[in-house]
Amino acid sequence: MPRRIPVQGDVTQIGEVRTPPIARVPDPVRLFERRAKRFEVLSGPDGIGPYLGFLAGIARAQHELAQELPEPEAPAEASLDRALEYGMPPLDRNAFTPDEEFLSLSEKLFGKLETLQKPKAAKAALESVRKATQAELTAIVTDLMADSVPVERMAEYGYVAAALQLRFVRLASTLPERELKPVGDGACPACGGPPVSSLIVNWPHASGSRFCSCALCGTLWHHVRIKCAICSSTKGIRYQEIEDGPGTIKAETCDECGCYVKIFNQQKDVSLDPFADDVGSLGLDLLMKETKFRRGSFNPFLLGY
Amino acid sequence: MNMEISRRSFLKGAGAGVAATTIGAFGFGEAEAAFVEGLRPYKLAGTTETRNTCPYCSVACGVIIYSKGDITQGTAEAVHLEGDVDHPTNRGTLCPKGAALLDFIKSETRLTKPKVRRPGSNKFEEISWEQALDEIARHMKEDRDANLIERNMDGVPVNRWTSTGFLAASATTNETAWLTYKVVRSTGMVAFDNQARV
Repeated sequence: MPRRIPVQGDVTQIGEVRTPPIARVPDPVRLFERRAKRFEVLSGPDGIGPYLGFLAGIARAQHELAQELPEPEAPAEASLDRALEYGMPPLDRNAFTPDEEFLSLSEKLFGKLETLQKPKAAKAALESVRKATQAELTAIVTDLMADSVPVERMAEYGYVAAALQLRFVRLASTLPERELKPVGDGACPACGGPPVSSLIVNWPHASGSRFCSCALCGTLWHHVRIKCAICSSTKGIRYQEIEDGPGTIKAETCDECGCYVKIFNQQKDVSLDPFADDVGSLGLDLLMKETKFRRGSFNPFLLGY
Repeated sequence: MNMEISRRSFLKGAGAGVAATTIGAFGFGEAEAAFVEGLRPYKLAGTTETRNTCPYCSVACGVIIYSKGDITQGTAEAVHLEGDVDHPTNRGTLCPKGAALLDFIKSETRLTKPKVRRPGSNKFEEISWEQALDEIARHMKEDRDANLIERNMDGVPVNRWTSTGFLAASATTNETAWLTYKVVRSTGMVAFDNQARV
């Protein structure tokens, strides 16, 4: 009797071939909803739980506003085509200045944050940032776009960063993700910004591949594993995790540039969020402080580590 | 140091010894201090992920080998292995033999040193690489001198050494396969596989 193959058609098609996309642009409503929920799960009365609860409130406000605002406008086609043709990020962060739309968006966001429970310092920073003139806001935005924050005004910058995130996540959501191309080492293909962390995803047809997550616009871009997320070196890459932990959160260290970027394994824990868990896993950063490596990723809510 | 890295100073005006963080700036300094205190008993554990090529067949699938321990101290031990998603050949998949490679690595009968079984002997004895290569070269030279066919039955000059064969490993690149062909075939060998299936 001839042997029967228990599947129809081509047997070589059993299982799946991984064909990860180059980039995945965010859906603003879903991104902030997920982020807020994750911050809530991580928050609590112990440790930095209250801070995570506060960040959950910010993400919730971002989520509400993402639902209320009209559909974002895509960048002009000519500039988009030019950026894609010359390997530049389509969202030009360095040319961005607070326009009418951003001012109204940030005012709405700050208004929502008024009701949030927060310590005195956070309250004072919110008041000060709401009183800021347009010139002051422009200066803050310019600094944030250069990933450079003055040490004495971190809280005010944090609020503006939250507004910028909402603005850029909305902008990025309009981009044609299939046409995005790599623009450089450790840079987001949508806005050119640094990563906040990286993820080993569990998506269909991409399971096990790694994506870096943009700290600003939330775009995920494919990045080969065991390769520095900052300088793209493949030499001297090692991993550090908290001993006896579940092995879901590791710091990927690079001997070449001396940086580390966290890598979250969604195959082991699907609830991990590239932004919320970066703050949530502060313990790893504190332990990494004792090593020769420094944080290579940018997170406006986790500066100073 | 490229531009991307050097521009990332993140904090302006943070001199040495200034322990300022965003958490403190938002007024959560106490929670942060408690958290730092609670972290004392914890330690870091190092792991390594290494790319390699599956040694079984000439498809040469990419694998990622996970190991625990310090690789610089030689105490690292392979603990897990999976298909390399980024490898263009297998894109994360492995066949049953490849998926069981960890047992191959840890096998008690795994050959880690060259061994020789002498004529008339019934067991293998260990031998140094130096000696092994010298002896192999000597055997090959003697065999080739004795058995090389220099002319075929019509008297046409040929280069045929039919009494020795050659197998090269599966994990070779195109370039090593090309070199294998050039080296081995120029000695006259006709029975060889430059990317063997074992």
